Amino acid sequence: MKKYTILMVALMLMVSVVSIFAVAAKDYVIVGTTDKVTSLDPAKAYEYFSDNILQNVMTGLVNYVPGTTKIVPGLAKSWEISTDGITYTFHLRKGLKFSNGDPINSQAFKFSIDRAISLKQNPSFLLADVVKDVKVVDDTTFKINLKYPFAPFINILAFTISYPVDPKVYRADQVYNGLPVASGPYMIKQLVRGQQVELVRNPNYFGEPAKTPIILVKIYRAANNLYMALLNGEIDVAYRTLLPQQFAQIQQNSKFTSYVGKSPFIREVVFDVNVKPFNNPKIREALSYAISRAEISAKVFKSQVAPLYTLIPDGMWGHKDVMPHYRPSKTVAILKSLGYSKDNPLEISLWYTPSHYGSTESDLALTIKNQLEATGLVKCTIKYAEWATYIDYWTKGVMGMFLLGWYPDYFDPDDYMWPFLESKASPGMGSYYSNKLVDELLMDARLVSDIPGRTALYNAVQDTMVKEAPYIPLFQGQQQVVAKPNIKGILMDPVQIFRYYLLYKK
Amino acid sequence: MKTYILTRILLTIPMVLIILTIIFFVLRILPGNPVLAMLGPKAPPEVVKSMEHQMGLDKPIIVQYGDYLADIGRGNFGTSAYTSVPVIQELMQKFPATLELTIFAMAIAVLIGIFFGTYAAYHFGGPLDVAARVYSIFVYSFPVFWFGIMLQLVFGVWFHWLPVSGRSAPFMIPNHIYTGLYVIDSILNLQWGVLADTLRHLVLPSVALGVVISSIFVRMVRSNVLLSLSSQYVVASRARGVKEKRVLFKHALKNAMAPILTIMGLEFALLLAGAVLTETTFSWPGIGNYLVTRIGYRDFPAIQGAIVFFALFVAIVSILVDIINAWVDPRVRY
Repeated sequence: MKKYTILMVALMLMVSVVSIFAVAAKDYVIVGTTDKVTSLDPAKAYEYFSDNILQNVMTGLVNYVPGTTKIVPGLAKSWEISTDGITYTFHLRKGLKFSNGDPINSQAFKFSIDRAISLKQNPSFLLADVVKDVKVVDDTTFKINLKYPFAPFINILAFTISYPVDPKVYRADQVYNGLPVASGPYMIKQLVRGQQVELVRNPNYFGEPAKTPIILVKIYRAANNLYMALLNGEIDVAYRTLLPQQFAQIQQNSKFTSYVGKSPFIREVVFDVNVKPFNNPKIREALSYAISRAEISAKVFKSQVAPLYTLIPDGMWGHKDVMPHYRPSKTVAILKSLGYSKDNPLEISLWYTPSHYGSTESDLALTIKNQLEATGLVKCTIKYAEWATYIDYWTKGVMGMFLLGWYPDYFDPDDYMWPFLESKASPGMGSYYSNKLVDELLMDARLVSDIPGRTALYNAVQDTMVKEAPYIPLFQGQQQVVAKPNIKGILMDPVQIFRYYLLYKK
Repeated sequence: MKTYILTRILLTIPMVLIILTIIFFVLRILPGNPVLAMLGPKAPPEVVKSMEHQMGLDKPIIVQYGDYLADIGRGNFGTSAYTSVPVIQELMQKFPATLELTIFAMAIAVLIGIFFGTYAAYHFGGPLDVAARVYSIFVYSFPVFWFGIMLQLVFGVWFHWLPVSGRSAPFMIPNHIYTGLYVIDSILNLQWGVLADTLRHLVLPSVALGVVISSIFVRMVRSNVLLSLSSQYVVASRARGVKEKRVLFKHALKNAMAPILTIMGLEFALLLAGAVLTETTFSWPGIGNYLVTRIGYRDFPAIQGAIVFFALFVAIVSILVDIINAWVDPRVRY
């Protein structure tokens, strides 16, 4: 027995020995998240986390100044726009290189833009709708010709779809599944799906090197796992997404610093305007009066979200509070005029997806159901489907009323109006809304380049939303970051680009 | 014996085939198109079509099924629709993590079972016996994810003694991977720091899983030891003046072990099911976690591959256990 005791003590000692790290603690920061990587090919990536990783390992012709929406030169040192707004001429910096040493030149840009358009992946419409062609002038000069003048085009160039890829590595006719060839401050050393992403400095980056040599992004399955790891000190930063009550608790915890910022992320109820009874705009309008955003914010989100009464988020120009505020008496009046009563209530289904938008989603759906039913004239059934099924359903028109969310691709009201309301774009949102007048207004707003003129056009579009109500905007999200106090460089960015390359340990 | 093993091996073929068939059709009946899940709702129809063609999803289901069987027959599990990496490669990468977790959990369950069960039988009717019985009922009703979270809360968040997620701390991975089992690899690499870190990470998940399944072992060991304690060879050895400890562990327990081995084989299936939940609770990068993630993406080849892999694993383990059983206990003959 003595032998075993000694062995056990030795083993316990060994286990309790503080591990000696091969890498100095100052040289890395660990970020925890519940997001998942899908594709890291800029021609395909089109959801928050994959894009955010790309925003740290690649870079565009132009960039946003961190913490602002101001556009500054990136890989391009300068550019000119022709007076008709059709031709953009870019002058690249000299000697730009990808992380593997291949040159970043005009040819690479032509290849990348042509490729993004011809691959026809999810975000390709951003370029395909407006770009006519790309013409190479010389190694560092090229022109992009547009189909029509499009004021927010320069913002699209700051988005991941426009990032250059290495023509020697990426194939023109195929989505790339390998590790990205980097042009940004970091490059990916290792990617283990569902587990972690290891970012290391890109030696060929033209700009200021990343503050910390290594960033480890650890991926957790759910908010609970992330929360536990955070409390146990296994991660330095938690970014997306803790539950509202967890975040509220951590704000009281002096061992952590929490950061809060406005987010351009919006949530809305979508109506499929082809599905009965939502094909009747009166019904949609009636329901829009019955929703109390204040209650949703307080009850479901611990007041961590802000009520939203239009699709354009607060803080962006063009934003106009148009949608009706909570007035259930109005719902009752409209529904009664349509012949509904207590004995003959309006029967509808509300759909949600349980994990894509975090664990609060079922509470959100339930709260909305209760608000609708509180009018006494609605009977609402809640249904749900996992994300893969959800997408399938809205493309097939199975769901008449469902919950959805939106992150902007480029920071411009156009990105909150066009994809939702334009006739050819709205099927992608599952709404199928179509209105000739709205289409014309939206197109005009693309052609006009002065902000007051465009604001007037977007105001007109938003005004039509009141009666037509193809969507009920619900609220605007909040950026939330929790970090250990020694972590610096966390920036609440209006475009919500989380910049790993600014993080460092003090 | 030889014919028995051969029959057992041959019998696993229809078993795996049935599982494979069920999972194949269930996946296709469920709503959710893997192509849309991958491409998103904005993908133009022609891209969706070409992708479906590429994945063979445009063929009649029965043809797809035939193709799949033929591929499996050739040892080809297909390519993940989500990552475009061969499924078998992904499974082989994740499997060691699951294996390491299940081995440690099994060891903990067996240890608890033997000690607690033997002593309970020895003190039949006494407080220890009652405690053992209460323990096994109590523990058996624990959902493993709940117990896991409790362990995380106490030993991680409150005391900060042990890590609550993953297999290793950052950069604490064996330099050279031989087996994929970090415990063995770190010893082979003589990286003691990595070994310590790996063990620290193993403690909570394997205790969570081990304790939950230990209840069955406690009860099994207890009743088997009771049985052998009342047998004549125990009475005889006591009469010869053999020490009690020796009677208990050398004679009674040894003879009680044979049925326990069988149970161990069966428990492996339960253990793997528990591993799925444990892995998700502890962010453990094994096959369970892999399976849950891929279900969300309707990654047909990956889901099918993981389940067939599980089935094969359980079948192989139970055959091995039977062989060991026959070898340990000369009375067992097939």
